[in-house]
Amino acid sequence: MADMMLSLLLFTPLVGAILALFMAGEKSKYARWVALIFSVIPLAISLVVLTSYDMVAGGTQFLEQYTWIETAFLKMQYILGVDGLSLIMVFLTSILVFLVVLFSWEEKERPNFFFALILGMETGLLGVFMAADYFLFFIFWEVALIPMYFLINIWGGPRRHYAAIKFFIYTHVASLIMLIGIFAMAFGAASILGVSQLNFAFDTISGVGFSSTFQILVFGLLFFGFAVKMPMVPFHTWLPDAHVEAPTAGSVLLAGVMLKMGSYGLIRICLDALPDGAVAWQIPMIIIALVSIIYGALACIAQRDLKKMVAFSSINHMGMVLLGVATLSDVGIAAGAFLMFAHGLITAVLFMVCGITGHNLGTRQIPLLGGLAAKMPNYAAFMMFGFMASLGLPGLVGFVGEFTVLSSFYDWALAEGMVWLIILGLLSLLLTAGYYLWAMQRSIFGPLTDRIDTSKVNDVNIFEGISLAALCGLIALFGIFPALAWDLIFPVASDIAAVLVGVI
Amino acid sequence: MLFIDYAWLIPIIPLAAFLIIGFFGHKTPEGGGYIAIIAAAVSFVLSALVGYEILSGTVAAPYVNDIVWLEMSPGVVLNFGLYIDNLSVLMLIFSSLISTLIFIYSIGYMHDQGERKRRYYTEVSLFLTAMLGLVISSNFLEMFIFWEIVGLCSYLLIGFWGFKHPKGEKASIAAASAAKKAFLVTRMGDVSLLAGLFVLLNAFGSLDFVSLFDPANIAAVDNSTLALGSLLIFGGVIGKSAQFPLHDWLPDAMEGPTTVSALIHAATMVKAGVYLTARSLPLFVQSTDVTLFVAVIGGFTAFYAATMALNNMNIKRVLAYSTLSQLGYMVLALGAAGYMMAASLAAGDVEVDHAMGYTAGTFHMMNHAFFKALLFLGAGSVIHAVGTEDMRQMGGLRKRMSITSITMLIATLAIAGIPLFSGFWSKDLILESVLHVAEGGHGAASAVFLILFVLALVTAFMTAFYMFRLWYMTFGGEEGEASKHCHGESPRSMTYPLVILSGFAALSGFLILFGFADALTFNFVDGAFVVGGHGLSMIEVLEDIFLNPFAYVSIALAVLGFYIAYRMYEVRDIEPGRYNQYGESSLYKLLQKRYYFPEFYNALALKLAYPAAMAVEQVDRKAVDGTVDGIANSITGGSQMLRRIQTGFVQTYAAFVVGGVLLVIVLIYLIGYLTGGL
Repeated sequence: MADMMLSLLLFTPLVGAILALFMAGEKSKYARWVALIFSVIPLAISLVVLTSYDMVAGGTQFLEQYTWIETAFLKMQYILGVDGLSLIMVFLTSILVFLVVLFSWEEKERPNFFFALILGMETGLLGVFMAADYFLFFIFWEVALIPMYFLINIWGGPRRHYAAIKFFIYTHVASLIMLIGIFAMAFGAASILGVSQLNFAFDTISGVGFSSTFQILVFGLLFFGFAVKMPMVPFHTWLPDAHVEAPTAGSVLLAGVMLKMGSYGLIRICLDALPDGAVAWQIPMIIIALVSIIYGALACIAQRDLKKMVAFSSINHMGMVLLGVATLSDVGIAAGAFLMFAHGLITAVLFMVCGITGHNLGTRQIPLLGGLAAKMPNYAAFMMFGFMASLGLPGLVGFVGEFTVLSSFYDWALAEGMVWLIILGLLSLLLTAGYYLWAMQRSIFGPLTDRIDTSKVNDVNIFEGISLAALCGLIALFGIFPALAWDLIFPVASDIAAVLVGVI
Repeated sequence: MLFIDYAWLIPIIPLAAFLIIGFFGHKTPEGGGYIAIIAAAVSFVLSALVGYEILSGTVAAPYVNDIVWLEMSPGVVLNFGLYIDNLSVLMLIFSSLISTLIFIYSIGYMHDQGERKRRYYTEVSLFLTAMLGLVISSNFLEMFIFWEIVGLCSYLLIGFWGFKHPKGEKASIAAASAAKKAFLVTRMGDVSLLAGLFVLLNAFGSLDFVSLFDPANIAAVDNSTLALGSLLIFGGVIGKSAQFPLHDWLPDAMEGPTTVSALIHAATMVKAGVYLTARSLPLFVQSTDVTLFVAVIGGFTAFYAATMALNNMNIKRVLAYSTLSQLGYMVLALGAAGYMMAASLAAGDVEVDHAMGYTAGTFHMMNHAFFKALLFLGAGSVIHAVGTEDMRQMGGLRKRMSITSITMLIATLAIAGIPLFSGFWSKDLILESVLHVAEGGHGAASAVFLILFVLALVTAFMTAFYMFRLWYMTFGGEEGEASKHCHGESPRSMTYPLVILSGFAALSGFLILFGFADALTFNFVDGAFVVGGHGLSMIEVLEDIFLNPFAYVSIALAVLGFYIAYRMYEVRDIEPGRYNQYGESSLYKLLQKRYYFPEFYNALALKLAYPAAMAVEQVDRKAVDGTVDGIANSITGGSQMLRRIQTGFVQTYAAFVVGGVLLVIVLIYLIGYLTGGL
């Protein structure tokens, strides 16, 4: 059993997806039960893996390796394994999928297909975080995208077709460029090793010692793919459209997990396998990060649609993730990874709140809202909790991420003689507080709105309430005891930073 | 058994109350009010016991007990724990005591609030947790965490009536807006404090007070870094303790319930900045410039804020300006103390004793907590009875509300600095500590301190004037419009706390003669910074105060302020508005408009941030997204093609997508086949 743990984790949701898919017609109302069961099992497995991971030994554990295709010129393998960084992302994925299923309990429109897509996506996402082979990584990367496309296209808002195709084409172009990068690495490694067999395994490729020029070029290709996914300015415009149109479950998984595939890939592949490239690209990465941070924060202020505001805030926060990673220091990389975990939990709350806004009130336009705290106290409380977490209130998980990122960035900027750059990071904290508080002032405080009909509006329902409360609990738990996640992440970051230091 | 081993319970008890009231408060009487009172009272008793152990020397101060919170990287450890010395004890005792009294008062004051009481007691309990946690934190990061949580509670409680305000929509809009302003303006300070933390963490590799205040560690860090870190930390003080130029949120914060104004915006939270200054003095005193800056900000705020209290008609706003001004006094005193020590250290003194300003500043912090809480609670009692905050509609309440009027008179005498009342002692010590530097022969700095001294004297005069003006407008003269509808004295749950506090306001000043001047001092002894000891004796204090001619000047000024207020608002033979009968006085308008600071902040938001945001939005839509769409269109053969794709069926997309993936897989197999066969 133990040696197949990860495969079991990976394919349980897929089995669930297939089962759910067949529950058409009359039976479709039971699809949610299938979804619940097949999202609880992966969650349970991920907790088992998490608790039985040997932190003292560290490194990649639960390794599974099978050869998929082997010829004289090609070796494709199915390799799964987890280290601290993977584990934290696997946990994030499985908990979010479970809560999203719960949140979407009342989904009426073709629930079988809906839940099948969510479970299918889970397999893709988990695969990305557990793959230890570049080609396998890429396949899961693609597998995760497809269900999202359908979620937006079928369950989305009025402009869903445009948003879905934009999402699909944009991220597809990015992943094709990324694929070129992956192939280049495989070819490069083969030629350096003097073998004719292409091998995509992490172990084979990383540390093979590519030439600097090669690394810089390939880093550019991969970084483009990851930057689109994160997304970083100026490759971000698919995100607001996708979010505005996506159903809540889609948005939660998109922002909560899918964006993290980009930053995860950056740490896992770019930094680890292409250290020279990372060093050469450091300044561009820092610039892109800072631009995204400020640009995202300012764009938030201008938004009238609550969900679009939250979407732009993702750009702001993912910029912060990149900023940490781009310092290329152990603390910075760990901080970036921690923040992406934190943002996953927080943004899930935010998008659920947006979903409830749209669903219960019929609009998400902030100027039409107002005084909702009187009418929907629980909704208001969750909104406030989410916003406070997102603006980095100490005691909650986001603060730890932002503090460590900015602290590592300060160290970097000081060492590079550009200490004033920290002002941009601090400015972002102010702007973030500004747009969230302003949004709350206009939506939940003040007199009850008369611009929309609120006479029949309900507060958060029990399923939504449970999922939101669970997320808030996790946000507080990891905010008060950040070491729970940090101690898993840091050894990985430290190993990667050691490789980078060797280069510098 | 030592009580200090259980000191960690001091913030935990209100935390438990917070959770209990939060979940079950609506099932208990008064929305959980009694639970909050009990928790606060237990915390107070424990604080007092711990305080006794520290002050009596049973436990050596500082008592430090840490656990690892986060090991950022090998060697850089962020701790979570306790650091309790005389200063923490002072803060613990008066914060928990005043909280207990104010919670008791709240039973009467919030009685009619129905469902909302639970929310109120939940939030104030969380506040007390964070406030007590703040003052016993063992490092800057832990303190920052609590620092932000008290800010959150302040935000929540200012906005307590941010929706469904009993006085209607306009009031709830004002409350919501004031809450946001408070959070954002103080956040400017908080961001500065955070930057200070980065500087210190980078320089010291730790944020623990123990290692940061160790002279050996300090010596290893270069002076400009220390000065930068100190200034950034002081930026946090400016925000939290509402010093110029981040002062403008505090008057607006008066939109919250009066008990909140008393607890958070007068007695405790705003003192957190003063506490931080006192706590960080070992770092501040490494630079004379930093301490001079601290003193100037404090002295200027004291004067500047007092001017705005002179002509305000709102009873709570007058008290808010007064709070600003008094906080300025405290910061000034600590700045003076810091400057003295910085100058001595710079001159190479190995032993620097009894910085009087430190005693004065912390002493005034305590006294002010008592009399200002009393003033706010008294004002709350009046507002509760007459239903307005406008003093022009009050007047003549002395007969109908005798307990409130007498207790408030005691507080007024205390804050005005009338001899023997508490404010007199601490204010006089502050003035003297400033004068000490001015006479100390520090060149240009002495000249600056001389100016600050004059400002402080003028402030003392203004304080006496505006406080007696407030008292006479409220309780003296003829009955105003609202006074006629007054329903008499407030219930006992409200008047008892007033009476108890008035006892403190009258008598707490004598503590300076009985040990306070020795307990709260700041020295550099045997190569270490020490809080407590080497202080002034009773005789020295008395000599310092009563043999100093300037003490009599300040007393005379206070009496003069009282006298003018008496003539204007009681006897009414001087018309206060005679230079402003038609609103022609630009000075009057300037003060009413708060020196146009609200406009300044609005402009910052509306003329700077918002246009920048709209510009980004335009760029995003037109330039960035436009380019993306443009590229897409040119590749797919124009919009014609795109439209055709977009209007297609789901199946078409499915075919595209699945086809794409299949293609990739087929390609792989093909490559495999061509390169060697499967």
